[in-house]
Amino acid sequence: MNRTSVYSLALLVLLLLGWELAARQMSELVLPAPSVVAATLFEGIKSGYFWPHIVRTSLEVLLGLSLGSGLGLIVGILMGEIECLRKLFFPYVVASQAVPKLALAPLFILWFGFGMTSKVIITALICFFPLLENTVTAIQYTDRNKLELFRVLGATRWQTLIHLKLPAGLPNIFAGFRVAVVLAVVGAVVGEFIGASEGLGAMIIASQGMMDTPLMFSVLLLLTLLGMVLYQIVHFFENRLVKPYKKETDK
Amino acid sequence: MSFLRLDRVTYRYQGSKPVIDGVSWTINEGEFHCLVGKSGCGKTTLLKLAAGLLQPDEGDIYLQGEKVTKPSPSIGYVFQAPTLLEWKRVIDNVLLPISLKRKPTKEDYELAHDLLERVGLSAYRNHYPAQLSGGQQSRVAIARALIQQPALLFLDEPFAALDAITREELQDDLLALCRLQNTSVLFITHDIAEAVYLADRIAVMADGDIVYALDVHLPKPRALEMRYEPRFNELCFQVRQAMEGMRR
Repeated sequence: MNRTSVYSLALLVLLLLGWELAARQMSELVLPAPSVVAATLFEGIKSGYFWPHIVRTSLEVLLGLSLGSGLGLIVGILMGEIECLRKLFFPYVVASQAVPKLALAPLFILWFGFGMTSKVIITALICFFPLLENTVTAIQYTDRNKLELFRVLGATRWQTLIHLKLPAGLPNIFAGFRVAVVLAVVGAVVGEFIGASEGLGAMIIASQGMMDTPLMFSVLLLLTLLGMVLYQIVHFFENRLVKPYKKETDK
Repeated sequence: MSFLRLDRVTYRYQGSKPVIDGVSWTINEGEFHCLVGKSGCGKTTLLKLAAGLLQPDEGDIYLQGEKVTKPSPSIGYVFQAPTLLEWKRVIDNVLLPISLKRKPTKEDYELAHDLLERVGLSAYRNHYPAQLSGGQQSRVAIARALIQQPALLFLDEPFAALDAITREELQDDLLALCRLQNTSVLFITHDIAEAVYLADRIAVMADGDIVYALDVHLPKPRALEMRYEPRFNELCFQVRQAMEGMRR
């Protein structure tokens, strides 16, 4: 372990200690001590109380993420490749960027009900835009020299897309995907806030109703963990796909 | 027999004064031609016209008797920058022209290995371009341009960014490879000594036109010592004067 990670760990211990001390001065309703939160979390996982909620929220996040970013990628490729499509739709894309997507959540609950569908759609909508924008940019601003090279080699439009524009844009597309992953958790949780009987977001609302602050904190921890795991998975794939050729060896 | 023929080619960017103004030029089979001129005189534009990357506004270009309207499969083109694909290993970069047409066969791999060996990079075939030096990247770009064994090779100042020694090595490599496949070459440079060393014939360009042509009668194959002979310097001086003279 290097020095900074030692310091980083020390900081965590310090923070937890400070939290514990501060919690002693206050009511458990306002700020539960980390030890209390940990106990609640452990108890909930052991008894299986959390599991259906974790599964439900993860499922919503994953479905929404794949639906939204998949569509974003495809529409982004189409808009990047076909100029008239880009000119036709870009003003609308910019306009819809300005709409706070989360503000549409109540509408989607009205349209698609309190089940999983509405949350998946909210999540998908949120994930759609970062992918769309980054893909359009990546496709559009491919290195001109490389495009000329592909013309000399007599490559078809499809080949240029598959062998040049997409791989060259991959770092940019991945950057959009990383944003989408973080936003996906937000989308699912807010969707559950507004109307759901199951899921981690619904649990936060429920714990608020029951004034069970330790429970709320443990759900928050679970959500953080979910986001971090997803982020790490994306990071892993990014490392596998993008990094090998970007790294310069020391000369 | 004329191999590549430019016939009174004119090219202009949107109505402004022509960048290329009525240029005629002929390259015969197996000849190595150099095009010298200062920056901005239209060298690269002329090369792109000859390769079919740009369409002339007036005049015609013929490759082996056929009119050029798009890049022909029998040409190779080396850009100013190496323009390698960073996500492909060196060997796959060399094989790119083939893999865009079909799946590379065992023979293709052997040819690629052979070319890489000739440019001294066989140990690097599984490296990524970012792990190579600038000179090594240029070598890969040349190997890539030669993999389809083109009848005609276009090079646009491929060695401009390299140090003098590396450049001389690459010049020798290029001459050897082209002699091997009897490739005709049109090579752009602003370096007079490079042009004299490489070329059978030199064209001096200024303001969109070829103002001076010179046949280089130096023994082949060229060797390092020639660079320091009086005859060589004389030729360099002639080209230099032609480049200066066009200003008056």
